[in-house]
Amino acid sequence: MRSDLVAREVLTGLRRNVTMTIAMVLTTSISLGLVGAGLLAVRTIDRTAELYSDRVEVQVALTANLSAIDVDCGQAICAGLRATLAGLPLVESVRFVSQQQAYVRFKELFAGQALTELAEPDTLPATLRVRLADQEAGAPAVRAAMAGRVGVRTVIDQRDVVAKLFDFLAGVRNVMFALALVQAVAALLLISNTVQVSAYTRRTEVGVMRLVGATRWYTQLPFLIEAVVTGVVGAVIAAVGLLAGKFLFVDRLLAENVSASVVPPIQLVDIVWVAPILVMIGAGIAAVTGYVTLRLYVRG
Amino acid sequence: MAPPAGHGELTRQDHRWAVLSAVVIRLDRVTKLYQASTRPALDRVSISVETGEFVFLIGPSGSGKSTLLRLLLREDVPTRGTVHVADLNVARLPPRRVPRLRQRIGCVFQDFRLLPNKTVVGNVAFALEVIGKRPAMIKKVVPEVLELVGLAGKAERMPHELSGGEQQRVAIARAFVNRPLVLLADEPTGNLDPDTSQDIMALLERIHRTGTTVMMATHDNSVVDSMRRRVIELDLGRVVRDESRGVYGVGR
Repeated sequence: MRSDLVAREVLTGLRRNVTMTIAMVLTTSISLGLVGAGLLAVRTIDRTAELYSDRVEVQVALTANLSAIDVDCGQAICAGLRATLAGLPLVESVRFVSQQQAYVRFKELFAGQALTELAEPDTLPATLRVRLADQEAGAPAVRAAMAGRVGVRTVIDQRDVVAKLFDFLAGVRNVMFALALVQAVAALLLISNTVQVSAYTRRTEVGVMRLVGATRWYTQLPFLIEAVVTGVVGAVIAAVGLLAGKFLFVDRLLAENVSASVVPPIQLVDIVWVAPILVMIGAGIAAVTGYVTLRLYVRG
Repeated sequence: MAPPAGHGELTRQDHRWAVLSAVVIRLDRVTKLYQASTRPALDRVSISVETGEFVFLIGPSGSGKSTLLRLLLREDVPTRGTVHVADLNVARLPPRRVPRLRQRIGCVFQDFRLLPNKTVVGNVAFALEVIGKRPAMIKKVVPEVLELVGLAGKAERMPHELSGGEQQRVAIARAFVNRPLVLLADEPTGNLDPDTSQDIMALLERIHRTGTTVMMATHDNSVVDSMRRRVIELDLGRVVRDESRGVYGVGR
């Protein structure tokens, strides 16, 4: 097989069909861009989960009475609760935060805001802060162990707050993938159609090739490569689009949240990680579509 | 282990038969039915052509000439019967080996079938390029063939700049450039005036003299009559005449 000849055929084919080729590249790139955005959302979700798994705790708030009396968890009720929690297999560690410590922390957090004026030392409960070994099963276990116990006011799972963020990110991911799927169908049909048109416009050449004994592989490879080239170009454009999206749009949008470390930023590395996946998907889908089209519609 | 008695003999006989008579085209009781038609396009046709023969295939339109050529090229398969070209059982050939068959057969048509966007030399070279021949080999043999067909001076012309006769010469050059065992020609003079037809026949004769078997389907009685070669006449899908030095037909 002579690569220069195949390359010549491919270039001729792409040029001859230039409007279709452009439509095909654009549709493919939009579809792959959406897939890429979805993948980035998945990655952000993982990052966010990592970010929070270190920090998220389940807090067991003690009743006001107990909070006021027991300043170091030295008394029987609090010590008992602490022992129970520490004994749970899914719990990594338990830390006591007294009413006084909570008040100091609160004043630090909201320094300079009117809120600090409202808080008195005895308005905040003392808490047992539970760090979980198992993020999924840990919280319900803590809840179950604390249910109905004397001295417990409430159990606060910080993950409930974080969960809303995850829901949002998952929503973004699902929308991206759904749109990508719709676009992918359009891209598939376009690729299929372009291969057919391409094969039709070159039927004289293909006829002569078949007549003089060129193999099916040789007569059809140019069409396949044509499809794959558009797939790859589409993927490259999609990657460039993601880069542009990051710098022009997402970075600015997340700027506030990112600085507060609520959502981890989308990094260049992430896009570098996504780009080859897009190229592989683009090339793979184009190749398969092209091959199937040739098998179904074009006589070898 | 010794082969069973008779088996070795048969093989030797087959071998002798192949070497001595060197049958290059063999149709054995070939019938071809098309779904759309009740009458078979070919009806129990048996033909044997030896290496180096020049054969005219004649008969009215619809007599089965084109079907026969299509079967030889494996554009189609017979409903019944067997087709052999050289040592290939054409109808049984797996699809991936069809190219090997076609590389041994050159083909020329009434409508030339040249690529309009390639020069004369490009058209001829194309036939070698697409079967993976080396560029050095192509550079060497293409000018030789153009010389043979008398187009050495017009190698860089485009097909539309050539006369019909010249275009057919290019087509013949393309069909012959890979030195096929058999050259099939389907009405090669059908679009040409009588003088040009005679030139094309002279060229086919020249190719025939290189040892190539030529089978030509035609309506052109003057061509057939002037050559005095083997004539196989088909009518309604049957062989009605097979003469070694025939004319087109009496009383036509």
